[in-house]
Amino acid sequence: MAAIQTFGLTKEYRSRLPRPRTPTAARALDDLTLDVRNGEVFGFLGPNGAGKTTMIRLLLGFLHPTSGQATVLGLDTERRSVEIRQRVGYLPGGIALYDGLSGERLLDYLAGLYGRPAPRRRELLDRLEFSDRDLRRPVRDYSRGMRQKIGIVQALQHDPELAILDEPSEGLDPLVQRAFYAILDDLRGAGRTVFFSSHVLSEVERLCDRVAIIRRGQLVALEEVESLLARRKRNVEMRLAGPPPILDGVPGVSGLTIADGLVTCQLEGDVGPFLQAIAGHSISDLTIEPAHLEEAFLEFYADELGLADWGRSTRQVAETSREEATAPSVVDR
Amino acid sequence: MNATLFLQTWRFQRIKLLAVLAGLAIWGFLMPVIYSQFGVQFKKLFDSGIIPKQFAEFGEGDVFSLPGSISLGFIHPISLLLNGIFAVGFASAAIAGERQRGTLEVLLARPISRRGVHATLYISLLVFLGMSVGAILVGNIAGAVLFGVVDQLNLSRVPVLWLNGVLLFGAIGSIGLAASVSFDRLTPALGVTLTVVLVSYFLEILGSLWPDAKGLQPYSLFFYLKPRAILTGQTDLFSFGLLLTITLAAIGYALAIFPRRDLAAPS
Repeated sequence: MAAIQTFGLTKEYRSRLPRPRTPTAARALDDLTLDVRNGEVFGFLGPNGAGKTTMIRLLLGFLHPTSGQATVLGLDTERRSVEIRQRVGYLPGGIALYDGLSGERLLDYLAGLYGRPAPRRRELLDRLEFSDRDLRRPVRDYSRGMRQKIGIVQALQHDPELAILDEPSEGLDPLVQRAFYAILDDLRGAGRTVFFSSHVLSEVERLCDRVAIIRRGQLVALEEVESLLARRKRNVEMRLAGPPPILDGVPGVSGLTIADGLVTCQLEGDVGPFLQAIAGHSISDLTIEPAHLEEAFLEFYADELGLADWGRSTRQVAETSREEATAPSVVDR
Repeated sequence: MNATLFLQTWRFQRIKLLAVLAGLAIWGFLMPVIYSQFGVQFKKLFDSGIIPKQFAEFGEGDVFSLPGSISLGFIHPISLLLNGIFAVGFASAAIAGERQRGTLEVLLARPISRRGVHATLYISLLVFLGMSVGAILVGNIAGAVLFGVVDQLNLSRVPVLWLNGVLLFGAIGSIGLAASVSFDRLTPALGVTLTVVLVSYFLEILGSLWPDAKGLQPYSLFFYLKPRAILTGQTDLFSFGLLLTITLAAIGYALAIFPRRDLAAPS
């Protein structure tokens, strides 16, 4: 059984304005069919306004589909949304909280609405570095990052079978982001399913088993992250201390240039033949850039889908994260 | 009905509730005091013709008898204002306010149905209103006892008056909640509810002061609040039935419309 299944899910927003002023309804989601397997971390990607939040709200029964249907944990979202929400943890994007309550009281209240204990609260608070002192402060005094942390805790404290997280790492500092990613890894390890939306491809690359890309309400790609990355061309840069190796004709190598002792090329697929070709040559430095999802994605989909703008913005994020993540290395993947 | 939501609603409202109860109890206390201390003088003043007789019938209340002064206490704008804090303010903000702040999404992410949310909030509201109307009556009785006029009060009729008051403000509250589930923002919900209350109040007061406008009174919710009649031994079952019907209609509308509404992401 899939954790989430949608069949031709469509949502149109109709304006309440008088008819002559609203010639058409806005279609936020268009014939979306996908499934999320049990136990996987599934990334739901798209630029702002693509329909990610609409999809999540349909899954939780906040919105009613114009056509099509969806099931969550085998339950119909239209008829059994209360049962669904009993088994799901949800983090809304830009979560709003009851500002007058302390963090502790807020978590007690939200857990109480489930009518069962919150066994993971202490562990989550510790991992997200949320102190007891902060927990006793009113929510109104919290920074954006603290609100997001409390949002994550309230979504996961009751140990749900499925976590639906809307842009969960927004506002978290890099260290807490890392802790959050580890929490998601553990959820996967425990057989829980995680469905999360993001517009940051590097995050999805790091966490997800599969990724769906949505644009203007339509599903444009649904792939295993690994397979997408495996098809990606890596950028190779090699500084020579002797005669250059012969790379012409090596399988997977393309775009070869050699100038002033610096060899650059692109490498696709298995790195074995390339490593064999350079073995025994005097090389002072070698960098093979990891295959990043945004570049892989843009390479395969951007032109046909006109995603150049998205690519530019996400590439900046990717380059920042790459600087952090990739210490100089010989072979990264 | 969700016990956790019910208790939290109490916690959120407790300070406001205490203030309203204190205010209404004091207001209720003052009515028998004014009657016992100044009733005769007021009567002479009106009999002298200095003040037009119509003003002695403000909303069918007066200060010339204990039932009349208690009736005046109920229909007076001060009572309306204090009871309106819950019947209008709380009811209108209960859903639309949460929706506007974005917290409704957090609440409805829990395993609680929208009808369950509405039912819990309406029950909370009824309890608040029951206490508010009770506070006026407690004040009335305390004032009557302390100023020696309690023998003029038929205490066995007080629970009937309490029920009449709760039905009136409960009907207003049910309209407020129906407005609250119908809008994404507080302002229109509050606007609709306030309009109903103010127009209704205006019709009742106008009809009580101006004989030619008496025919408008049955269109007012406040016309069906009958403290003086109840305290003098009459029970107008039609008034009770009508207020109950309006309440049930508003609740039925809210229960039908709320689960069908799309709750788009907060802006």
